[in-house]
Order: sequence, then C-alpha cells, then structure tokens
Amino acid sequence: MKKLHSLLLSLATLVALPAVHAAGEVNLFGWSEYVPQEVLDGFTKETGIKVNFETYASNEELLSKLVAGAGAYDIVQPSDYTAEVMIRRKMLAPLDRQKLTNLKNIGPQYRGMVHDPEDKYTVPYMTGTVGIVVNTAVVKDPIKGYRDVFQPKHRDRLVVLNDNREIVTWAFYALGLPANEVTAANLAKARPVVASWIKLVKVFDSDSPKTALLNGDVDIGIVWSGEAAILWNEDKKFQYVLPAEGAHQFVDVLAIPTTAKHKDEAHQLINYILRPEVAKLVSDKFPYTNPNLAARRLLSPEQLANPASYPQAGNLQPFRDIGKAAADIDQLVTDLKSAN
Amino acid sequence: MHAPADPAPLPGDRRHPGWIAWALLAPMVFWLAAFVVVPAAILLVYSFCERDEVGGVVFRFTLENYQRVFDPVYLRIFARSIGYAALTTAICVVVGYPVAYTIARASEVWRHRLLLLVMVPFWTSFLIRTYAWITILKQEGLLNGFLQAMHAGGGPFNLLYTPAAVVIGLVYAYLPFMILPIYGSAEKLDNSLIEAAYDLGAGPVRAFSAVIVPLTMPGIAAGTLLVFVPAIGMFAITDLMGGAKVPMIGNVIQNQFLQARNWPFGAALGVVFMLMFVVTYGLLQRRGARLAG
Repeated sequence: MKKLHSLLLSLATLVALPAVHAAGEVNLFGWSEYVPQEVLDGFTKETGIKVNFETYASNEELLSKLVAGAGAYDIVQPSDYTAEVMIRRKMLAPLDRQKLTNLKNIGPQYRGMVHDPEDKYTVPYMTGTVGIVVNTAVVKDPIKGYRDVFQPKHRDRLVVLNDNREIVTWAFYALGLPANEVTAANLAKARPVVASWIKLVKVFDSDSPKTALLNGDVDIGIVWSGEAAILWNEDKKFQYVLPAEGAHQFVDVLAIPTTAKHKDEAHQLINYILRPEVAKLVSDKFPYTNPNLAARRLLSPEQLANPASYPQAGNLQPFRDIGKAAADIDQLVTDLKSAN
Repeated sequence: MHAPADPAPLPGDRRHPGWIAWALLAPMVFWLAAFVVVPAAILLVYSFCERDEVGGVVFRFTLENYQRVFDPVYLRIFARSIGYAALTTAICVVVGYPVAYTIARASEVWRHRLLLLVMVPFWTSFLIRTYAWITILKQEGLLNGFLQAMHAGGGPFNLLYTPAAVVIGLVYAYLPFMILPIYGSAEKLDNSLIEAAYDLGAGPVRAFSAVIVPLTMPGIAAGTLLVFVPAIGMFAITDLMGGAKVPMIGNVIQNQFLQARNWPFGAALGVVFMLMFVVTYGLLQRRGARLAG
C-alpha cells in the first residue's frame, strides 16, 4: 500500500514538473562556439528559467530555419546585415527598453548602427573584424593589406575563410570598390583578382582557420578576429593586422523574433547577458571585441592588449544585406575554384 | 480437363502476402514513405521553383535551375566528383578484396576477430577519425615526424590539403563498406569449385579470374554501390582534408542550401544526383543479371 502511495506521488510530481518548467523557459538559437555554457547555467540558477539552447553555424542557416518556420525561438543571434533583412521583413519584435536596464553598458559607438538605426530591435552581443594574421616567425616582410598577402611567394602558405562573400569583398577593397555594391559590373572587375588569389590559397576554412596556422601548414591567414586573438594568446608570433585597404567589421546581436512565445523571459536573459560580469565571461571564452564597456573594465590588461580583440582604429565597414546577389557571388567563386 | 488443383498453401509459401505480412512490413513502408518518398517529392517540387531574397522558396514554375545544372561549371564539378569517387572505389576494391578474401578463408575464431577489427572504427565518430588523419598528415604531424626520425630525405612532405589527402580520407572512410559485402560473398564460396578449377588444369591466376571473381561478383557489385554513390556526394572530407579548395558536387549542394540561399538550385542538383544513383544502380543490376544468366 505504501509502495502504491509513493508511486502515485511520484507520478503526480512527474505530471506537475513540466507545468512548473513551462512557466519559465526560454529558447535560445545562437551561434555555435559563441555563448559560454556557464552564462546560461548562471541565468538558470538565478531565475529558475530553463534555457533551451540550439546552435547554427551561419547566418544563412538561421534565416533558412526561421523562414521554413522551424522551432519557436525566443532569442536569435544574427549578424548585423542579417538582422537588417530580418527587420525589413518584420521577423523581429521591437524590444521593451524598460526591461533592458543594463543597455547603458553598451558603448555609444555600438548604438544606432546602420542595421538598426533606432536600436529598436537589436542589442549588440559581441563584435569583431576580419583581418590578417601573420606568423612572424616565418614571414619576415611586412604585411599591410590584401595585396601583400596574395603574393606568388606565399602560394600554398595561406588559409582564408571559406566564405565566398568575404573573399569577394576583399577583392573589392583591393580594387577600391565600395564593399556593399555587389553589381554585375563590379563582380566582373573583381573576377580576375579573385581568380588569381584563389590559386594561391592552401586551405579554405571558416570553422577553425586557426588550426592550419597552429599546425604549421600555412603562415598567413585572413580570419575572424576572435580566431586571431586565440592564436595570439597561444603564441605572440601570430600578429594581427587590419588590412589597410579596408576591413569588414561585424556586430552580432541579440534579438527576439516576432513568433517568440516567451518574450518576457527573453528580455530577462538579454538583460542578464548585458551585465558587466556576465559579458566578461563571454570575453574570457571567446575573445572577440566586447561592446559592453562596463565589462571591458573588468578584463585583464593582457586581454585588453590583445591586438586582435582590440585593434588600432582602421577603415572598418559593416556588411549590408545584398539580397539575391549572394547567389551571384556564390556562382562566381564556385566557378573560379573549380577552374583550378 | 481440369488444371491440377493448387496444393494447399503453406503459411510461409504464399505468393500473395496476407495481412500479417503487411502488418510486419508497415513500419518499413511508413519509414520509406516518410523519409524517402516524401522528401524526394519535396526536392522535386522545389527544383522547379523560384526563390526570394532571404532564401524562401516561391512556388512559381521555372526551368532555370535545371538549365544552370547543365552549365559547364557544374558539369565539370559533377565529372570531378565522379572521378574522385571512381578512383576511391577502384582503390577500395584492390585493397579490400584481398582483405575480405583472407578473412573469409580464415578459421572461424580468426574470422570473428578480424571482422571485429574491420568494424572497430565505427565505434568512434566519423569526424573524429577524420581529424585523426589530419593529425597524421599535417606538416608537423605524425607521418612527417616519423619520416624525419627515420632520416628519410626529402621531407617534410605536404600531404594535408592536397587531392591525395582527399583520396586517402575517402578510401579510409569507405573501405569497410567494400570489405563487408565481398566478405559475405567470399564466405559462401564453395571450395570444391576452386578445387575443380585446379583439377581441370587452371593455374592460380585462371582459377582466380575465371572462378573466384565471378562467384564473388555480387559482393563486389554491392560494395561498389556502397562506396561509389556516397563518395560522390561526400563533402566533409573534401572540406577538412582537401582544404575546401576544389569543390565537389556535395559542397556545391551544401552551399546552395546555406551560403547562396538558393534552395531550388540545390534541389535541382540533388535531383540530378539522385538520377545518377538510379542509373548506376540500374547498370550494376543489368551487369549482375547478365552474369547470373
């Protein structure tokens, strides 16, 4: 009898438990390797709100999944130019600024950026640049820009991002073309440059370009600044250079889709991440540029001295959404790669 | 004149399956319908559609996607993928056949042990095994280190991120899929047929080519199918070990669904790819039927 009683009791709790959790959960859809687990655990510990975390590896994957109507996500983490198109297509809900008391920690230079001029829909999470990392133990001559990287003498000693838009944009910079004007005429001008560059590259890798540099398979890379920052932490011979011709600056943001079911919890989590001591945890794990100035004050001098995380000012520009031209870029680079 | 009455059907000897048979088949039929037929149909429909700027599919009929598939750029990529897959299959046959034959002819105890060794790699994730090859082939890796320790001249060799590395990776990944079907055929091989060949004056080469190979042909055909078709579409190995330098058809399809936001074109490539599979399968079936006949 006692047994039956305890069985019924445990059954009752089993039924009750999901009800308790359903009251407090939030579905986060973010970049892989970008949100430290301890941040999410800390949030759950403090608020009791469970965080369901799913990841994607590219903005396009995020867009595809949202367009296909998959999942009920409460927070997404697009890059600036993807947030721009999501705002235009009314896929993001306006934020309730009253609930985001820690928004004041974000530096003024990261407010009102082109993708969201009124800061209505997005909050900066981390920012970074795409630049050149040089193994100075091997490469002795100075590397200042893309033209210095893509030299015949560096053939088969280069790693670059496996990202067709990035590669074409570097060619635009080298030619002095506006980075976001992806027209047929500009692509035709860039074509011979990209063709000659692609022949020199040994590895195309967006996921972990630092690996080829660490392994000694290549000596120069054009990579995400966070990757370069990890390399610099590993060995000071890896120097980061912002290309003189111009470089891509990206801002990854936090935003709430219009379809979100837990908007209140989503605001709570965003506000939690904006806390200085929490944003610092992100910097510790993923050394990109932290837009949270209050968090920057908590970083060690070594972290702040990392030239890839906090580079000297350069000619930095954001990507804008280019719509269908993305497919033209893909066709161009696929064509040139397969001609090798 | 009456035709002789059919003997009373035995439960296991029916020409027409009863409801029990259908009930047993139901999970399989459901699985095929839900995960093969329906996705293939969606792919087919998408391949005739247009797309919008964020990569959504717009249901307006167009043949543009198929026109693009037959652009020389993509035909060349198809051809290259087939070339790599064919080379991989050939190496797998040459390497896998002796292994499978030896295992099949070994004593029972050894047979089990050796088979286990063939299958042990499957206990680890495929990606981890591929990364292990990166550790071996990289410039400061195990192979170059070993060669330097042996004072073999010429090094360090540039192996990783070359076509050779891609073929090594593909052969490594697919070799078990060649060994196991050939083993299945070779194990059933009747020894007396080989002895008969020798008795009738065949030398070892003749006995092998005229008796052993034809009898194990079903295994070779099955292995070829299991290696060749997935090897054409593989994209992870070409990315990781080839440095993503020369695109294979798998990489191009993957790109359409992600970077290029062009699902309809990716679907068209996928449909053509599936047709290629059907053709390969048909050819092998016909060849098998001819041999059996």
